[in-house]
Amino acid sequence: MGQPLIDLRNITKTFDGQIVLDDLSLAVKENTFVTLLGPSGCGKTTTLRIIGGFESPDKGQVIFDGQDITKLPPNRRQLNTVFQKYALFPHMNIAENIAFGLKIKGKSKSYIDDKIKYALKLVNLDGFENRSVDSLSGGQQQRIAIARAIVNEPRLLLLDEPLGALDLKLRQDMQYELIRLKNELGITFIYVTHDQEEALTMSDTIVVMNQGYIQQMGTPEQIYNEPENAFVADFIGESNIVGGLMLHDELVEIFGAKFACVDKGFGVRQPVDVVIRPEDIDLVEPEAGTLVGTVTHLIFKGVHYEMEVTTPDGFEWLVHSTDMFPVGKKVGIHVDPFDIQIMNKPASEDEEAVGVNE
Amino acid sequence: MKNHTSKLKRFFQDFYLVLVLIFLYAPIATMMVLSFNSSKSRTQWGGFTLDWYTQMFDSSAITAALYNTLLIAFLSAAIATVIGTAAAIGISSMKRIPRTIMMGVNNIPVLNSDIVTGISLMLTFIAFGISLGFKTILLAHISFNIPYVILSVMPKLRQTSKSTYEAAMDLGAGPVQAFFKVVFPDIMPGVLSGFLMAFTMSLDDFIITHFTRGAGINTLSTLIYSEVRRGIKPSMYALSTVIFLTVLTLLLITNFAPENAQKADAAGTGRANGTDGVFGKGGKRLTTQQIQKRKTIKKGLLVAAAFCVVVSVCFSTYKYYLVSHSDELYVYNWGEYIDDSVIEEFEEETGIHVTYDLFETNEEMYPIIEAGAVQYDVVCPSDYMIQKMVENGLLAEINFENVPNISYIDEKYMKQSQSFDPQNRYAVPYCWGTVGILYNTKRIEELGVPAPTKWADLWDPRYDGEILMQDSVRDAFMVALKSLGYSMNTSDVEELREAKDLLIAQKPLVQAYVIDQVRDKMIGGEAAVGVIYSGEMLYIQEEVENLGLDYSLEYVIPEEGTNIWLDAWVIPANAQNKENAEKWINFLCRPDIAKKNFEYITYPTPNKGAFDLLDEELQNNKAVFPDVEKLKNGEVFQYLGDDVDTIYNEFWKEVKAK
Repeated sequence: MGQPLIDLRNITKTFDGQIVLDDLSLAVKENTFVTLLGPSGCGKTTTLRIIGGFESPDKGQVIFDGQDITKLPPNRRQLNTVFQKYALFPHMNIAENIAFGLKIKGKSKSYIDDKIKYALKLVNLDGFENRSVDSLSGGQQQRIAIARAIVNEPRLLLLDEPLGALDLKLRQDMQYELIRLKNELGITFIYVTHDQEEALTMSDTIVVMNQGYIQQMGTPEQIYNEPENAFVADFIGESNIVGGLMLHDELVEIFGAKFACVDKGFGVRQPVDVVIRPEDIDLVEPEAGTLVGTVTHLIFKGVHYEMEVTTPDGFEWLVHSTDMFPVGKKVGIHVDPFDIQIMNKPASEDEEAVGVNE
Repeated sequence: MKNHTSKLKRFFQDFYLVLVLIFLYAPIATMMVLSFNSSKSRTQWGGFTLDWYTQMFDSSAITAALYNTLLIAFLSAAIATVIGTAAAIGISSMKRIPRTIMMGVNNIPVLNSDIVTGISLMLTFIAFGISLGFKTILLAHISFNIPYVILSVMPKLRQTSKSTYEAAMDLGAGPVQAFFKVVFPDIMPGVLSGFLMAFTMSLDDFIITHFTRGAGINTLSTLIYSEVRRGIKPSMYALSTVIFLTVLTLLLITNFAPENAQKADAAGTGRANGTDGVFGKGGKRLTTQQIQKRKTIKKGLLVAAAFCVVVSVCFSTYKYYLVSHSDELYVYNWGEYIDDSVIEEFEEETGIHVTYDLFETNEEMYPIIEAGAVQYDVVCPSDYMIQKMVENGLLAEINFENVPNISYIDEKYMKQSQSFDPQNRYAVPYCWGTVGILYNTKRIEELGVPAPTKWADLWDPRYDGEILMQDSVRDAFMVALKSLGYSMNTSDVEELREAKDLLIAQKPLVQAYVIDQVRDKMIGGEAAVGVIYSGEMLYIQEEVENLGLDYSLEYVIPEEGTNIWLDAWVIPANAQNKENAEKWINFLCRPDIAKKNFEYITYPTPNKGAFDLLDEELQNNKAVFPDVEKLKNGEVFQYLGDDVDTIYNEFWKEVKAK
């Protein structure tokens, strides 16, 4: 399976002179669950709409299974979309909604009936054929929207923040449902969300986007543990990002203190960004720490305590720990070498993580 | 205690509601009741009858107008719905600013006054050489209906999420398929209520239709209005009742259909926001049923609409084949001013197809003839208006060789008409009449006043609150001027001032200034004396007799002289069928035809031949045919020019204000 199922090549898209996607290229392999993740306005939904055929790119090509489909209207693409607000047809009952695509394709009645039964079973809503759209809860409507899409046996299913309107509990249940569906059906999912937890839970591959650029692409583990730049580090989970100086391989200086690390190849005396996850900081007795600071803030979070430790240079370190240190106590900061992630400073202004605070 | 106050509160709430309802619907209820009144009177109940309804459906003018009204309403609403829906879709997909601008532009015609729309449409049609007729009314109605459709479809479109359209495309539907399968059913309630609103607006419209209609075509509203001057016939109450009920039904349907849809919508959002578990409990059956019901209503309406189209198309084709358009005559006459069978007889006898059209006032007829928007062949204006038309060269001389029956017109009326047509070249008298005093014999006896003989008697203080005056400037001043011995056509400001002061002096005695109601109030015995047009004396006397009243009403032409009015047939200079017009005039001058018309109209006829055919009793009825010497000081209204009109109006305002 060398050839990707969908291949976006140098896509550029502007709305009213505003660049939304800038020379974006992305290849997705068959039978994977890919998530486009990013803050609102990062271009993820536009990317999805370009694949779906609802927007056409200003420049670039959309290749589907080796075919250029850039100019193909949505109704002639072999893929289906699950819309953010479900977009069920309110004047039709559930069966009619699901049958819509099949009827247009002129399938036989018995085939359609079988498909409806099968799809409803798949989304755990057997017997809902004659119900009206209005009588369904949000979660049920979402399942019908999925059923309506998959009966057409698309090779690619696009999902545009499909769980955005659901409450937390329902959302978590639906996440598992989607994973199960993907595994049962063996079709490719491209999923758009701004919820990093959702992305980490479900995806085979996460594409982190910002400002119309792909910031990083990788497995959830790679994205979380080895963010390539400050934006990704900050957007995925919480982290301490500080400026540092790479003295030489495996040694970095932060605020004048030397930390051992495992990264190599950044050169000698090069300024870098250093990412340290809050749960990776160990608070120890002052004399045992690499850096020394004072606890300035303390919140109990259930599983752990969240603390802020201010070092003499004024930086506030975010620390997650199961041990409690009261406010005002002097503590030492220790980090194991493999918990330190070294990143290059952003090469250009464009790539800089402008939207960190979004 | 608390219970008691809430009951009281409840009572006042209901009471208030009832008051509001009475205020809104009492007038309509009155009209409905009167439509079943066998007496023509508006104050006397003469027993229950359905005669007016029968008369209404027997009248070819009314059925034709009804047919026109429905056809125009239906066609214009249907076409406007298609255009308006398409426009609404276009507008809704615009960006915010152009959309706001477009909606603003769309709202202007809705807010604009009808008269401006009507006149500007008429001017446009004339400017582009489109002759006024059925098609211009239709075009006008389509154009004023479109904004209403847009206004009604727009909110539905805004509610409809764009993603359902995209979802349909995504599932394989082409753009057209996606629209008709998904978007259209969704906005259907809006489209439907837009259609019904357009239909009702079209049904209701008078002003725009009035300006854009052409010869021989009337809708119900223009027809009813043209009847107003000669007194509204009760069959019009019947007609208005039918219209009201039709509109009411349509409104009920309009409100009923979308309400249902909204209810379902609301229920939907309500539940969608709820926190049902993933495996929700069974939904309510009711909703499905409601939807089913909604669908049935929709289907029913569609079937009804389709039925309407088929019927109208069949009917119009039938009508088209029925009428041969070989020889034409366009007649422009007052409402209620001819016996319908006379037109039929004329058509049968001559083979000429008559297009018969009505006007309400001389002032309304004049600009139509002047603009030449509709080319009428023969018109029946009043004295002073004929004078104005002659002066402005709007009339053609009549070739009297084609009108041999002119010999039946009494010489004295030909002489009378010389006051506006000096050489009798343009006009053939049709009806005439006088203005006089109607008095209640019993009432004046009670008041101890002798029967009035002159206008000056209306200043007798014993008539305190017993006088009814005409609520029209020239008629009121005529009474005062004549009682002072001046001409009723004076333009002397001093004489007019004197007359004004006299009218002000009379005001304490006057019960009311009214027009039509003089007739009914006098029949009802509400006043002792009233100034009245002689036209309906025959009717009044019959009515008093029929109701078995213990008094009689007598008509007197005052000694000082009075207004003699005369309506006559003339031929406009731009007439296309002048010879047919002369045939028409000649036909109407035939004694048997003139008699028939007289019996229908009951206004005095100038036709001597017809007069001779009447019963002796009728011939001697002084109320209908007054003695000649009584008319000695009579005058015919003349057109005095705009400046003098202004003085009249200013003085009249002073009189009314005091």
